[in-house]
Amino acid sequence: MTPVHEPLSEEAAARLVQVAALSRTPLAIRGGGTRSLAGVPEGAETLSTRGLAGIVAYNPAEMTMTARAGTPLEVVEAALAEKRQMLAFEPCDLRGALGSSGIPTIGGVFAANASGPRRFVAGAARDSLLGVRFVNGRGEVVKAGGRVMKNVTGLDLAKLLAGSHGALALMTEVTFRLLPVPETAATIVVSGLNDAEAAAAMATAVSMSVEVSGAAHLPESVRGRFAGGALPDGAATVLRLEGLAASVAVRSEKLTAAMARFGAVTRLDAETTGRLWREIRDVAPYADGTPRPLWRVSVAPTAGHQLVAALRLEAGVDAFYDWQGGLVWLRMEADPEAALLRRYVKAVGGGHATLLRARPEVLAATDTFEPQPDAVAALSARVKASFDPAGLFVSRIVG
Amino acid sequence: MQTNFTAEQLADPHVATSEKILRKCVHCGFCTATCPTYVTLGNELDSPRGRIYLIKDMLENGRPADAEVVTHIDRCLSCLSCTTTCPSGVDYMHLVDHARMHIEATYRRPFWNRLTRNILAAVLPYPGRFRLALKAAALGRPFAGVLKRFKPLEPFGAMLDLAPRSLPKASGDAGPGTHPAAGPRRGRVAILSGCAQPVLKPEINAATIRLLTRLGVEVVAPTGEVCCGSLVHHMGREEQALEAARRNVDVWLGEIEKGGLDAIIITASGCGTTIKDYGFMLRLDPAYADKAARVSALAKDITEYLTTLDLPQQEARGLTVAYHSACSMQHGQKITMAPKVLLKKAGFAVRDPAEGHLCCGSAGTYNILQPEISGKLKARKVRNIEATKPDIIATGNIGCITQIATGTAIPILHTVELIDWAYGGTKPAVLS
Amino acid sequence: MDQIGFLEPRPAVLSRRREIVADLLDLLPEGCLVHEPRELVPFETDAFVSYRRLPLAVALPETTAQVAAVLKYCHRYGVPVVPRGAGTSLSGGAIPQEDAVVVGLSKMARILEVDFANRTATVQAGVTNLAISDAVSADGYFYAPDPSSQLACTIGGNIGMNSGGAHCLKYGVTTNNLLGVKLVLIDGTIVELGGKALDAGGLDLLGVVCGGEGQLGIVTEATVRLIARPEGARPVLFGFDTSEAAGACVADVIGSGIIPVAIEFMDKPAIEICEAFAKAGYPMDVEALLIVEVEGSEAEMEAMLAGIIEIARRHGVKVVKESQSATEAALIWKGRKSAFGATGRIADYICMDGTVPLGQLPFVLRGTAEIVEKYGLRVANVFHAGDGNMHPLILFNANDPEDAARAEAAGNDILRLCVDAGGCLTGEHGVGIEKRDLMRHQYADVDLAQQMAVRAAFDPQWLLNPSKVFPLEGRPAA
Repeated sequence: MTPVHEPLSEEAAARLVQVAALSRTPLAIRGGGTRSLAGVPEGAETLSTRGLAGIVAYNPAEMTMTARAGTPLEVVEAALAEKRQMLAFEPCDLRGALGSSGIPTIGGVFAANASGPRRFVAGAARDSLLGVRFVNGRGEVVKAGGRVMKNVTGLDLAKLLAGSHGALALMTEVTFRLLPVPETAATIVVSGLNDAEAAAAMATAVSMSVEVSGAAHLPESVRGRFAGGALPDGAATVLRLEGLAASVAVRSEKLTAAMARFGAVTRLDAETTGRLWREIRDVAPYADGTPRPLWRVSVAPTAGHQLVAALRLEAGVDAFYDWQGGLVWLRMEADPEAALLRRYVKAVGGGHATLLRARPEVLAATDTFEPQPDAVAALSARVKASFDPAGLFVSRIVG
Repeated sequence: MQTNFTAEQLADPHVATSEKILRKCVHCGFCTATCPTYVTLGNELDSPRGRIYLIKDMLENGRPADAEVVTHIDRCLSCLSCTTTCPSGVDYMHLVDHARMHIEATYRRPFWNRLTRNILAAVLPYPGRFRLALKAAALGRPFAGVLKRFKPLEPFGAMLDLAPRSLPKASGDAGPGTHPAAGPRRGRVAILSGCAQPVLKPEINAATIRLLTRLGVEVVAPTGEVCCGSLVHHMGREEQALEAARRNVDVWLGEIEKGGLDAIIITASGCGTTIKDYGFMLRLDPAYADKAARVSALAKDITEYLTTLDLPQQEARGLTVAYHSACSMQHGQKITMAPKVLLKKAGFAVRDPAEGHLCCGSAGTYNILQPEISGKLKARKVRNIEATKPDIIATGNIGCITQIATGTAIPILHTVELIDWAYGGTKPAVLS
Repeated sequence: MDQIGFLEPRPAVLSRRREIVADLLDLLPEGCLVHEPRELVPFETDAFVSYRRLPLAVALPETTAQVAAVLKYCHRYGVPVVPRGAGTSLSGGAIPQEDAVVVGLSKMARILEVDFANRTATVQAGVTNLAISDAVSADGYFYAPDPSSQLACTIGGNIGMNSGGAHCLKYGVTTNNLLGVKLVLIDGTIVELGGKALDAGGLDLLGVVCGGEGQLGIVTEATVRLIARPEGARPVLFGFDTSEAAGACVADVIGSGIIPVAIEFMDKPAIEICEAFAKAGYPMDVEALLIVEVEGSEAEMEAMLAGIIEIARRHGVKVVKESQSATEAALIWKGRKSAFGATGRIADYICMDGTVPLGQLPFVLRGTAEIVEKYGLRVANVFHAGDGNMHPLILFNANDPEDAARAEAAGNDILRLCVDAGGCLTGEHGVGIEKRDLMRHQYADVDLAQQMAVRAAFDPQWLLNPSKVFPLEGRPAA
């Protein structure tokens, strides 16, 4: 085991980084540790945010919250639930799928830019992040952004930190925007569509003025593993509607009518809807206790099914789709087939594939994140150096 | 925005007016987006904001015009789309008029440019000379291609292209004199005979007179009237323009004394914009300021006047009309609804082509002096019009009619010709 | 006004002016380089007209390759570059300097692709904001961020400033609607960031390029998100007797969990200005007006409106007026969006852009009035109330230098007030030249140093838009 540091204050964290900088000790930043499958590189020490916990300010009337990075996500969500508010981007909980333990933290959610089904209409975690305090690789405490919805004062460093997977700095405090919890929700299920038909149905649904807030396609191979088997037979293309009860009712009817030409349509109540979309968010069907390689692939919505169809000819894959088809959860039978997958991602118009799960030695040998073109990689490396000139923070996202 | 003029400079009433105009501009840039030359060329120097700045710089420094400023002012169509867009109420029209006067007074144009402009100013406002020129053009047509290959002669090539293949006979229906109302008289108006229009399309005024007299309006076509002056006005030849304005003011005031006038009817919106501006143009002439203002107040586009007559709704004719609003109509005179309402009432299905705010490139003598930009605008305009799949194109300005007709096979008519037909007049010849 | 300084022009660049112009003429097609001194004058400023500097030359490239060639050249010879879209910046973001080549994107104004199935549009950077919506509206879509200058401002400029607009309350600002860009770095390298896939891989460079104020590179193409137009939309006018009551009403509406598409605020002077131009039928007998837009189905709009009206009643609303037709709705928005320009009818102005937490709205409105009064000036307030983004328009006489100096000082006081109230200097217009010297009021030195380090990672020699955003003192040595 490598040493684990758990500073109890921002100042302590800053001092720790300063010391590490002097001794040139690499640091692996850890939130809840839910995604640390690949482990910490040789010689690096772990810097945990666990000791930096607690909600600093919650202003329901302004729909903003400030919390220390190590605050458990469940603490944040419980406080929000009391005021019927929520994180718009539906952060996912991948512990089941990854077979990891640990407690997801709000800082970790932003560091991973972890975003669920609503992402394709409401934005990702990065879109909700208003401000951040962090310790950079020089051991300086820096603030960026603020607590107001609109802010273009200076460079938007908060965006850079969101999704930076610990490569740039130790986030100590985050301020984010919130949304009211919709009064009710419903899901329209279109049954029996193949992947290509589903892509067409979803494209139609999101082009309508009914404000679909979730569009996923669950092929027959995974359908039974959702909602306790409550989905009708055949592949399920699921479309979520949220809002005021009267409005959801009207929109459901409109959407049902439009979807009827694609296949048999059924409707799920609010409770089943809640369960179903949590399971989609958390990749429930692949929470199978195996180390079979699990990919998260982001492509253009209409390219998702093309990618899977192409892969199927050459590898054993199972897949389901979120974000109108633009987010593909891929489970490989054996080998991650990284090169093959990444070639096809390019072929269908580009995007990126992230390897989330595999046997440790496979994980260690595979690029977790999509390799980037040289010019972009070089630029990213310079940006990392601007936060962390000594390359103290180890992370696989920047080379 | 801030201006820098000395008290001495401001003693010149033209400068004083321009200074007031410039002070209103906040340099927001909205005008660039709807300017035909900016969307064509993508250079701020060829946008209203750029020109305003060039003019400001030239006037503030009391400098004679130079070749660069002239290039960009010359490219302005004076379509006035910018004045429709401008939230600050910048009176670009009078600013650019002043700039053109300043150019004319302080800049010596290259020989060929000077010659072209002199010819245009000496021919177009005079129907007799214009008719002769068009006949000569028929002989010159084979040389159009050759002319266009030599840049300074390009305008002559453009002229030959625009000249119609055959000329209609001068219409006796629209000649000078009084055309009495059929039945009880409900009004009396003068009609502007015009200069180029009666040569190119005498049927426009003929239809107007037929329609108005049928509706009980007496129409006078006064003798002694001359070109409204807009042609030379837009070339910056102010004295020549004011002379024309004074003569017309005298003629119309004479008619008012004879039998009163409810309106001075204009069937070419380009002329309408200028006549409505006589009051401003002659504001510094104590002998004419009041008289000119009175004339301007009486000036009405034919469609404006027709809406006061409360025409009945006609049955649908099964014909689709794309209405092209001339810039002088929509931006110069701010008449946007009247022609379309009339056409709909007359039983036509009316379509608004996309980018209706953009000029067709005609703009007086612009299609002769700036053939390249004009050609691009014409192509864009025709594309937008044809996309509405109309049977007929209607518009209210002879310049647009000539310009657009050279770019499409769809018949193009003056709005009043269609109204005349719908209310018992003859079917326009091109539709038969 | 001359209180804000520019960087001293580099003598080595000024002395080579003729050569630079000759070289650029070789790199660009005919008609794509403006260099005659008199022709440069119209490029000396943008919509922040208080400050002016002549550029060395203005390049108007037609392709990404030409942009790259110009940047590569400027990089090689250490020539500063100032990017320019439509020149509508209210913070002076596009104001050049004597030793800079302006790179204007106005000739790159083509819509390259519209992809309805993926709800994206790919356009050249010089396409205007409104042109995107115009191109897709017949098919029932729109591009959401709608800065008031949307008729004229370009998407490239929007990306530079991370522009907002009235409807951002629901749909987010530029950064939330931008999927990818083609970016030319200062050394002429062309990179593509993001694309039609929702999440970009690697570090979110796109996130920092957006709002980078032209300091990180020049965007030549952008892929943006399209949104399906709602079934219906209706602006409703709420008139109040005091600005404070209107401000408090806004905070309560948002706090109640109702989020309309837009909540715009106008005080009496602003109402009068806008009505004079748009003739939209704004109520004239109130001190403050909210334009609240709701959208969706009839039932939805009704339900949402009922909730808002109830809250407005608690704040003593005097007039509630629903738009009766699409034309009327369009006029209501036309008036609002023309507010700044229309102000030119009565006076010169500078427009502030501070954003404050909603609960602070009434306090800051009062404070703004006091500050302006202290300087003996007048103010018109017209702004995006729903997200606390204030736009006091300070009215003054630009031909009176003392008046202008007072206006500038009052503006600075107002922005400091916004920061002190927990807000920020600029919500959507950008720092530009205007707010540069106030940056230290919002940020500590270490915060600015980190931002500048990121900036230098993109442009180590500080050639791109170098006089902007960061105070001139305390910059790292290039």
